[in-house]
Amino acid sequence: MARSDGPAPQPVVDGALVQAHALAAFAALLVSAVLGLVAAEQLVHPDVGAGVAWLGWGRLRYGHTQGIMLGWLGNAFFAFLYHGVPLLTGRRVTSARLGWWLFAVWNLAGLLPGWALVLAGISQPLEWAEFPLVIDVFLVAGLLLAAVQFLPPFFRRGLEHLYVSSWYVIGGLVFTLLAYPMGNVVPEFVPGAQGAAFSGLWIHDAVGLFVTPLALAIIYFVIPAASGRPVFSHFLSMLGFWLLFFLYPLNGTHHYVYSAIPMAAQLGAIAASTLLGVDVILVVTNLLLSLRGSGWLPRDVGLRFVATSTVFYLIVSLQGATQAQMAVNQAVHFSDWVIGHSHLAMLGFATFAAIGGLVHAWQRMPGARYNARALEWGYWLLVLGVVLMVADLTAAGLVEARAWLSGAPWMESVRAARPYWIVRTISALPIVGGLVALLVGLTTGPRGGGLHAIGAGRDLAPGSGIAPVIASATAREAAEAVS
Amino acid sequence: MTDRSGRALRMAYLVASVAGVVFFALSVLLLGVWPARVLEEQGRAMAPEHMLQLTASEQRGRAIYGREGCAYCHTQQVRYLHADMVRFGAPTLAWETRFDFPHLWGTRRIGPDLSRQGGVHPEDWHFAHLFAPRAIVPGSVMPSYRTLFDGSPDRPTQDARDLVAYLDSLGRARAIAGPEAETRARDACDCPGDEMAAMAFSMPVDASPARPRRRGGAPEVPAASDAARGRTLFAASCAGCHGDQGAGDGPGAATLRPRPANLAQHTYTRARVVDALWNGVPGTSMQAWRDHGPDDLAALAGAVAALEARLAEPAPTPDLLALGERVFTAHCVQCHGTTGDGRGAAAPELRIAPADFRSQRPSLALAVSAITNGVEGTQMAPWTGRLTGEERLAAAHYVRSLFGGTVPGGPR
Repeated sequence: MARSDGPAPQPVVDGALVQAHALAAFAALLVSAVLGLVAAEQLVHPDVGAGVAWLGWGRLRYGHTQGIMLGWLGNAFFAFLYHGVPLLTGRRVTSARLGWWLFAVWNLAGLLPGWALVLAGISQPLEWAEFPLVIDVFLVAGLLLAAVQFLPPFFRRGLEHLYVSSWYVIGGLVFTLLAYPMGNVVPEFVPGAQGAAFSGLWIHDAVGLFVTPLALAIIYFVIPAASGRPVFSHFLSMLGFWLLFFLYPLNGTHHYVYSAIPMAAQLGAIAASTLLGVDVILVVTNLLLSLRGSGWLPRDVGLRFVATSTVFYLIVSLQGATQAQMAVNQAVHFSDWVIGHSHLAMLGFATFAAIGGLVHAWQRMPGARYNARALEWGYWLLVLGVVLMVADLTAAGLVEARAWLSGAPWMESVRAARPYWIVRTISALPIVGGLVALLVGLTTGPRGGGLHAIGAGRDLAPGSGIAPVIASATAREAAEAVS
Repeated sequence: MTDRSGRALRMAYLVASVAGVVFFALSVLLLGVWPARVLEEQGRAMAPEHMLQLTASEQRGRAIYGREGCAYCHTQQVRYLHADMVRFGAPTLAWETRFDFPHLWGTRRIGPDLSRQGGVHPEDWHFAHLFAPRAIVPGSVMPSYRTLFDGSPDRPTQDARDLVAYLDSLGRARAIAGPEAETRARDACDCPGDEMAAMAFSMPVDASPARPRRRGGAPEVPAASDAARGRTLFAASCAGCHGDQGAGDGPGAATLRPRPANLAQHTYTRARVVDALWNGVPGTSMQAWRDHGPDDLAALAGAVAALEARLAEPAPTPDLLALGERVFTAHCVQCHGTTGDGRGAAAPELRIAPADFRSQRPSLALAVSAITNGVEGTQMAPWTGRLTGEERLAAAHYVRSLFGGTVPGGPR
């Protein structure tokens, strides 16, 4: 944990690894979105793909969610960490060679065979853990490699006055490493209701300990780095961090309210969910106050994605705290309301944050192509798609809940949902279109166009935006250096 | 930075890091390990002494259920909620899931909960439904699992048989545990002090509105019915098997044994139709429709009556009718009963109840065909070897004469 005594070496962002993970991320995002689109279409025209085993709805859904969480967000987070960690720590990541191993293990030994296996019918029917156990071996190895790759720079730098993004990165990587095996392996060996208790934990840990911390790390990084203004309050950001890591893991059982799991555990999880809503208000207030001066729709696309993500984060968290309440839960649980909620979380909050982080990193790579027009299109198409999909699924959930409570024959709820499923499928089109536009935005246009877009010259130091923030977080350290 | 403040800070971070790990451990302990222990103890105390494991075939079926993502549309968990209990029955107890590796509780219900699916539908229904869901349930969004078949619903692969075996096992443990096991479980759970746990025993174990029951108990339905509503409901729930015109030739009918009733070629008493809707026909693919209210049952009964073809049938001569009575008395009463009400001495032994001619009158052609060819899938055998053509015709006339209801537009 000791700080190195010499002057911090110049931080070096490994652009090749950023680009490799970013492109893998977008490719995985497109594939996962198409899997989701086909699955959505099958709810409208159920005979699409009938007779082709690997196009079965269940298998597509397995590929869709695992692809989003591991293929898209996993790669996007790694890409961002190659940009962010050196700037946060002033140190290189552990090793570029290790980086390519991580890339290969995660994508070639984890994601691709995982997809192939679930489509071939080798999987486990556990939510957010559908890749079979053999794949988990490689993914846990990948998480280990990621910890070795990204954590030492923080410890070499010393942990004094860590900026909040650093905390989220450390927390996210460490706790995912702990939670992943629990959620993926334990229910295979602990039966029924007991196993479900662990599944519930993991369903929430996947979002709370992997997706949310790393997405927040990006948001906390990009807002000051892109706007040039420090975050509103370091104290609030740290308070939010600790409350989040205390409360998130305690939410799990709210996925099984009114189940056989002991009521005390259910009530505890519901209380934690409520408090989590309060915590998120705190975090988002801090973030929105940090965005003062950038406006609701910042000109910088990267910052705009992040700002929009922040708003989605508030909505999805308040929605989550609401639907955990027993009175609400008994009606909307099992319905499309929850599917809308998870899309708002993964596609609204996390995906927007990840895209914001990638665009932000991309803008600062002189060799990277950048097509501002395409990125504008990507932003608006995605906003349109997400808002339409979430609103539509939320309404569908209410319609289904009403049909169920009315005691009407089951099929009435299915028939009543059909128009909403049609709209949901339609809403996937702007989303896929937006993703294509983003991919175009990052692979066409002039090299170094990103620097031009943010009004900087080619000689912009990569850390020039975030440096003042780190400095203000480490004011004492800076003062010492001067003296 | 001074050494002292540096050390203090490092201490603080050490404490913080430990605290972080403790938070995680706490969550696993509080929401994972502790509930699992409670549930395990509960399961031990409440489970029947000899709980059946799944057979090898059912185990394989379970793996197919998992692999195809069935649990992502069908839950296997009845919640402690009135709305769940009236639809699916008693809430799921932990012991019912003690052989489920991994659990298949699910968090989304596009289709109905399947915790107590066993015995609701016969195998031929499942095969037809898995092969072409919308042929049986119009408007269903279930994927077709025709890859589990060799081209047709009556040619299931081993996978399809295993899957159906598994579906038929769902809910079996609690269903066969019997009242003594329910008592044992209730005693073990100390319910008087636990309002929620008591709910687990406050309802019949199975409440599926589709599960066929023996006749009787149907509610009073209004005499008048809404014809348009009846046609809509018939198209939504019945046409898949019985066909648009009720001829028993719907898209799902081909492989069902026995074949769906030909509603056009039968005259039914209204009470008979309401009873069949309310109770289904045990042993056949005719499920019950108890999730329909009295108005809708009346509307459906009206729709069924409207399908009747009203054929101009020849009247039998008194001699022919007397011959028919002799044939019936000699050969048919064992199952169909002396009055033709389907309650012969052998009837309780039969998987499918014999036809009740007091409440249903087949067309002459249909009656002759049934006596001549038997009814596939039931114990009604062909009588060509034992009865002459005239005797079969006479018996057909005779069973038609037993009808106790009114025949619209025709002689009794």
